[in-house]
Amino acid sequence: MFEVSISIELKKGITDPEGEATFKSLHLLGFENVKSVRTEKVFKVLMEGEKEQIEKEAEEMCKKLLTNPVIHKYRISIREVEHD
Amino acid sequence: MIERLLIRKNLPFQLYEVNLKEAGEEDLLNISINLGLSLSLDEMKKIKDYFMDKGRNPTDVELQALGQAWSEHCCYKSSKVPLKMYLFDVAKDRIVTREDAGVMEFDENHYYVVALESHNHPSAIEPYGGASTGIGGVVRDVICMGAQPIALIDPLFFGPLDCKYEDLPKGVKHPRYLFKGVVDGIRDYGNRIGIPTLCGQVFFHEKYIGNCLVNVGCIGIMKKRNLVHSMISKPGDILVYVGGRTGRDGIHGVTFASAELTEESEEKSRSAVQIGDPIMKEPLMHATLECVEKGLLEGLKDFGGGGLSCVCGELAYNAGVGVEVNLDKIPLKEIDMAPWEIWISESQERMMFVVDKKNLEEVLHICKKWDVLAVPIGKAIGEKVIRVFYRGFKVLELDVDFQVAGPVYDSCKRPHIPRRTEEKEEDFPMPNLERAFLKVVSSPNVSSREWIIRQYDHEVRGCTVIKPLQGIVGRESHGDAAVIKPLENSFKGIAVTADVNPNFLDKNPYWGACSAVDEVCRNLVAVGAKPDSIADCLNFGNPERSRVMGDFYEVCRGLSYMARSLNIPFISGNVSFYNECNGIAVPPTPQLTAIGLIPDIRKCVTVDFKKEGNPIYLVGETKRELGGSEYYRLLKLEGGIVPRSNPNLLKRYMDAMLKAIWKGCIGACHDLSEGGLAVCIAEMAIGGWVGADVDIGNFSNGLREDFKLFSESNTRWLVEVKEEKEKEFERLMKEKKLKFYRVGTVTGERLIVRNGRKELIDLDVDRIDKAWRRTIWNAMG
Amino acid sequence: MKREDIRVAILRIEGTNCEEETFRAFARLGVNPEYVHLKQLLGMDCRKNERRDIFDFHCLVIPGGFSAGDYVRAGTIFAARIKSKLSKELKEFVIQEYPIMGICNGFQVLIELGLLPGIDEIISDYPKACLMTNDSNRFECRPTYLKCENRGKCVFTRKIKKGEIRLFPSAHAEGRLVLLFGKEKEMLKKMEENDQIVFRYVDPDGNYAGYPWNPNGSVDNIAGICNHIGNVFGIMPHPERVFYGYQHPDWTRHGYREFGDGRDIFESVVDYLVRKL
Repeated sequence: MFEVSISIELKKGITDPEGEATFKSLHLLGFENVKSVRTEKVFKVLMEGEKEQIEKEAEEMCKKLLTNPVIHKYRISIREVEHD
Repeated sequence: MIERLLIRKNLPFQLYEVNLKEAGEEDLLNISINLGLSLSLDEMKKIKDYFMDKGRNPTDVELQALGQAWSEHCCYKSSKVPLKMYLFDVAKDRIVTREDAGVMEFDENHYYVVALESHNHPSAIEPYGGASTGIGGVVRDVICMGAQPIALIDPLFFGPLDCKYEDLPKGVKHPRYLFKGVVDGIRDYGNRIGIPTLCGQVFFHEKYIGNCLVNVGCIGIMKKRNLVHSMISKPGDILVYVGGRTGRDGIHGVTFASAELTEESEEKSRSAVQIGDPIMKEPLMHATLECVEKGLLEGLKDFGGGGLSCVCGELAYNAGVGVEVNLDKIPLKEIDMAPWEIWISESQERMMFVVDKKNLEEVLHICKKWDVLAVPIGKAIGEKVIRVFYRGFKVLELDVDFQVAGPVYDSCKRPHIPRRTEEKEEDFPMPNLERAFLKVVSSPNVSSREWIIRQYDHEVRGCTVIKPLQGIVGRESHGDAAVIKPLENSFKGIAVTADVNPNFLDKNPYWGACSAVDEVCRNLVAVGAKPDSIADCLNFGNPERSRVMGDFYEVCRGLSYMARSLNIPFISGNVSFYNECNGIAVPPTPQLTAIGLIPDIRKCVTVDFKKEGNPIYLVGETKRELGGSEYYRLLKLEGGIVPRSNPNLLKRYMDAMLKAIWKGCIGACHDLSEGGLAVCIAEMAIGGWVGADVDIGNFSNGLREDFKLFSESNTRWLVEVKEEKEKEFERLMKEKKLKFYRVGTVTGERLIVRNGRKELIDLDVDRIDKAWRRTIWNAMG
Repeated sequence: MKREDIRVAILRIEGTNCEEETFRAFARLGVNPEYVHLKQLLGMDCRKNERRDIFDFHCLVIPGGFSAGDYVRAGTIFAARIKSKLSKELKEFVIQEYPIMGICNGFQVLIELGLLPGIDEIISDYPKACLMTNDSNRFECRPTYLKCENRGKCVFTRKIKKGEIRLFPSAHAEGRLVLLFGKEKEMLKKMEENDQIVFRYVDPDGNYAGYPWNPNGSVDNIAGICNHIGNVFGIMPHPERVFYGYQHPDWTRHGYREFGDGRDIFESVVDYLVRKL
């Protein structure tokens, strides 16, 4: 079994309102060392099969559902995990 | 230690026999505590007697079922007596039915349905989940009468937003955090299920720091023939479990609501807070209403506090029958749950359909179409007994009447001492009125609620014809009530408002309660609606304290006095006790949500001033009643008389005002409440983006200028009358022998208030707008 | 074709929630709308008499709401489910110039489907725009003024003159139109040339303005667009919520009138269909 972590973040140059709002709130709370906040979303997908095939399918998932290429970029990392 | 009294049964799953036979008094109490039952010694003794009569010990499943059924939340043991004495029989003949929700007649072919509940404790621990599941629950209450939900209401009470962190009791979250979490929760849930959040109120007070209040209400509309009762119809009916899976969430949610919050509440109670799933609820709503519309359901009940146990008990009890349930059939989130956990779990988004055998297939098909889980789990039997089986073993057998009827405490058991209130108006030098005015206008309890209201979708479904924010687009002010037009082919409307002034109740529970009724009626009349019914959510401290119970009696007495004279019934609501933290109770807070009807919504009026040149009238009498007023609060004055109310007088005023509105005499109308006349004019001017010239010299002679401006006397409205209708308006008021005063005109860009020739306030409307609009934005960002 | 024979599918899945007012708008104009669950088009869990085909209808509407909870991204799950099986038929539907409208969440679905912006193709394999989280990072429900920018291409606005200003309420958290990074200017220019810009946010006087008049920070103040043919139309604010006069937020200021600013959207497409069929 493989755990596929798909991390999705906004491309450079795309404003991140959630990050900015969080940044503002952190400053209000007195965390003055904070210089910027960006958000990132991670999907953890458990998959069975050959690693190569899984890599290919994960790419497809990103393109077909998980990301919008206009604003997102993504990273895929795969690690083997014990069966449940 | 009670381990010696727990006998594990030799079965392939977890089941304990609890040895009550050998349990002494101390043991009984320990059992109650250790199993999280929250039952008193007397109650435990009653349970012991019951099982000794049967000649056996109970199982853990049975004890948990009783713990749930008898908790304060499910059976109202402290409040049943005063509620019966004061509220339940008010205008009873006008109520169609009062079950999970109250049902009233809307027109010849339709009913409207109202449910109002508290969700205080869960929201204090986890505001986002607490608030959202609160809405989920109250929406299900409305659906399970067979009605389409059409509006949500959410009155909220928090500690001051600028409260210092070091002033917070240990384990208590900052009001700003709670406020944001609750608003986020309501927004994300309400918007997602597509029901407009129509109105509410937000009130800040020090005594809510340790225990915020989150009340939630829902209104529905239905064809008369679709009314479904919360009961089984006959033995042989199938129980169909519909909706989400059952998990460990919410276990002990109900008993948790019946115990005060303490420092450790957070750690201990996390599991009692549930998580809502709006995207499960939305299709569940569709599937249920489709079954209702097709006449496929005999009975219907939502899962609330106490889970399956309470649902089955009440469905059976209301019909005088029994049920047999097979726990193996229940869809679970986690497979290793013990039978008692399955039986009392409070997982969200579940309903129970009572279905005649012949309709079962069609019901299951409709649910499947909507991707809603539906499983037959048991059936009704003639014998008045609840029997539960798990993996072939009987794990519970209780008499329906014993479980559901529950103990009722009469007034002797819960001592109640009404508090003595001494009220006096004392003299003090008058401050600068312009500065005081700006301070009142920008105070948290008066200032703009736009930050909240804009986050809620208040017009999804396209039926909101008078919005919560009223006035020129981009300059809107607060309305008194919102109005929906629920039927495509009728101009009849439903107006909704939510109000109570805890400052009044903190000083005088009786007159505070009367004022709350007066205020909600005023609000409804201000948009042109005739008050029709009230839902009440009674939030109090620990009822074991005689003072709290005394306040409770006083509040019920006040509500009763007003509503009885006005012939307005209380159709839904709940009682929430134990709203305390470290010994500080919330002010008595009977939150009222009132419903009014309008024969033709095209006659509605809003608060914003409409046209320069139109005269402004003050309707009603202004007295030196400033106890609990926003003005005294800002001046840090303790004293003062809480406003009184006379329901018979109120009725005369309402009749005349409605006549004037329905005859089209009125351009704008606003009731006078927090901040009195001053705030009222300000809000009308802001919404209309126009000034006014007002002279306060010609009413309440002898009253000091600041009292005239800031008194919060009841039964008053400020009215912009259409120039050409002035005579007609005056005639209508005179006919009923009412007090009214022409105080000024809509004009210019400044708000000018004078006493004869003496100018008291002269400010640009823009400046007032800025003071009024920014307070909550500034606090919340 | 007669009005009553025109069939409009109001498409829904779990979380769709503006279907009733959208349905009522069409019904009021005398055409024949029908609620269609996506599963009826996909042939899942439905009986024979419940099965539907895209070509049973003359117009498809994807109403507002929070389809599938807007999880992953607003509208994307709805879009993925349509794409899984109906891509081909959908493309054919558009080529045959049958109209499709997406309101609010429906607009998000059309973008994620690749039917919009539809500058030089019918449907793209991957989205070429995105409706992102509002600049305010908040869901906002507020009246917005829209200026009609369309010169006549869009079949949903033919009854509205270019330059006219209408009030449609907005209620969304993700309405900020973003175009391919680095290609915005080029895309905007093409869309302008193709007459694909339908509405822009303006202030009450008709000037292009910032927040709150542009409630989400949308590029170039764009509120609604159509594809290059003019038959696929997406809009963030809700015309179905101002079908009647009394649905306007400020109607008590101006006196009662029967119909509101949104009616012409529905009237335009019905009129188009009456002529076409």
